[in-house]
Amino acid sequence: MRRPEIWRTTTFRLALVYGAVFAAGVVALLGLIYASAAVFLTHQMDEIVIGQARALQSVPAAALPEQMRQVETQDVRNVNFYGLFSRDGAWIAGNVRRLPADVPVNGVPRELRGPGFQPGARALAERLPSGDILFVGFDAKTLSGLRTIILASLIWSGALIIILGLSLGAALSLGPLRRIRAVQAASLPILDGDVSARLPTSNRRDEIDMLAGIANNMMDEVERLLWAVKSVGDNVAHDLRTPLTRLRALLYRVRQEAGEGDTHLVMLDQALGETDALLGRFKAIQRISEIDRRERRAGFADVRLQALVEEISDLYGPLAEDHGLTFSAETEAPCVIRADRELLFEALSNLVGNAVKFTPTGGAIRLKLVRLNEGPRLEIIDNGPGVPESERDAVLQRFYRGQNGREAPGSGLGLSIVAAVARLHDFRLALDDASPGLRVVLDCWPVAMSY
Amino acid sequence: MTRILAIEDDETTAREIVSELSRHGFSVEWVADGRQGLVRAVSGEFDAVTLDRMLPGVDGLTIVSVMRNAGIEAPVLMISALTEVDERVRGLRAGGDDYMTKPFASEEMAARLEVLLRRARPQARQTVLRVKDLELDLVTREVRRGGRELGLLPTEFKLLEFLMRNSGQVLTRTMIFEAIWGYHFDPGTNLIDVHLGRLRRKVDQPGLAPLIKTIRGSGYALNATS
Repeated sequence: MRRPEIWRTTTFRLALVYGAVFAAGVVALLGLIYASAAVFLTHQMDEIVIGQARALQSVPAAALPEQMRQVETQDVRNVNFYGLFSRDGAWIAGNVRRLPADVPVNGVPRELRGPGFQPGARALAERLPSGDILFVGFDAKTLSGLRTIILASLIWSGALIIILGLSLGAALSLGPLRRIRAVQAASLPILDGDVSARLPTSNRRDEIDMLAGIANNMMDEVERLLWAVKSVGDNVAHDLRTPLTRLRALLYRVRQEAGEGDTHLVMLDQALGETDALLGRFKAIQRISEIDRRERRAGFADVRLQALVEEISDLYGPLAEDHGLTFSAETEAPCVIRADRELLFEALSNLVGNAVKFTPTGGAIRLKLVRLNEGPRLEIIDNGPGVPESERDAVLQRFYRGQNGREAPGSGLGLSIVAAVARLHDFRLALDDASPGLRVVLDCWPVAMSY
Repeated sequence: MTRILAIEDDETTAREIVSELSRHGFSVEWVADGRQGLVRAVSGEFDAVTLDRMLPGVDGLTIVSVMRNAGIEAPVLMISALTEVDERVRGLRAGGDDYMTKPFASEEMAARLEVLLRRARPQARQTVLRVKDLELDLVTREVRRGGRELGLLPTEFKLLEFLMRNSGQVLTRTMIFEAIWGYHFDPGTNLIDVHLGRLRRKVDQPGLAPLIKTIRGSGYALNATS
């Protein structure tokens, strides 16, 4: 499973989008302020320019150059520009030596462009009654100052928004991310088949809780259905066992009462055999549920594995020999574990029984007790046909029979019983290739400890 | 005549028990209710009791522990629908002598009861078991047939001892597995047959009258008359 990454979280993306929208808003706001201020300032400057032009017009033509000089000396800020030009554009007076070409002589203020002027400067040119041209300009440098201020604000606020947005997004994502990781961890046992496990929820009732709640509800249903399926099997097995037992009793009685010469004897024996096989299968189904229902550790005690292995070889040695197989048990060292002795014996018995069943004459079966660092390991190794890798998981399920095991007698439930016993003990059961043959490994230590 | 008390609330099961045990020559009294069953059980009139674990009134476990406290030593075969291993342990701990789960084969029930009755019968402390010309010495652990030492392995010895102690009695494979190996699951396959076969090869050598008899569809018996 992939680990969730912080920049993929919804919260983080939301924070990013929010930051971008906020930044756009700031740009728009500052732009609007700038535009409105520019209009306002232009209007102001236009009025100043018109006012000054009017003041100068009222001065007699002869006094005009002197008047302009005076005004210039008073202009400490150096914001006023004046020029008096003759009809043909030659300079007469003022601090503007050349009449700017783009200012029409019509008395209407307009923007003054040109070297030495800041953007936003306004100017007008007007023909005096004498025919001379009066030029008045005003460059307060306000607009460019404002522009600098707004640009700086934009840069600083933008940087702040980006930094704050990113860190806030990351910070806000951490919480949900941590919870998602908890959910991910909690889902591992479910993926491993533990349908009773549930996802953690907090009491925040946020969307993660809602999702976990939905998943948990689905798991409830899955668990219920699984139990329903299981109990259907169990109930069928349970309900059919009683009539089957009666049927068997009847058959048995008929068999007893039939004389030795009866021609139906063989058929009766076959019928008894089939009934016994059916009963055995139903018993095995019930047995699996019984083991699954057992309270863990209820029957646990110290079990000496070496003794168990010896018992098994005592029980199965003759059977293996009768099948033309060699059977050997190897125990490395005495091991004592906490386990349910009866169930562990049943599991081993099933495994060795299977090995005997599926190994052809002339083969060998080895039962090994190995001591590893983690704990003791039981291995049952045969050199029979083995189980193809693709079928190894399936054979641990109920009723599954390997392709090459179809004609062998038995309920097909032996390995399921072993799996149930392993589950109860939290031991790991695995099928391996013994090339050739099958190696069944039962690790006699709790799986939970290996993590 | 051997008297058996059957305490069982399910009528069909009860009828099965009564008819099977009657066929085996026992006189059977049936009680369906726990309270009444308790009264009959402590009366001491019976040689053995088959006891349902779950009963209306008084529960089977209570009946058997009251019986034991009252000093009634008659063997009790507990019959229960509860298959859990813990239930078996609980039943035996309360004083039951054997435990069967429902549904059961009635002839196995009868066989188990007969084994219990035989075990309960006062026996002189024997050190040598004898069946016809077969001799099993419990002290020297030697087995002879017609004076010839058979050289049995430990498991074979235990098996033969069990058969000899219950000679003439049908013993099912399950009973043999439980008695010799002490486990209560179905070992399947012909596991028990193989062990019996080995024992038979040593005990019933060619030329000798066969002592170990296979009872079709049921189990084995040593020196069975029928």
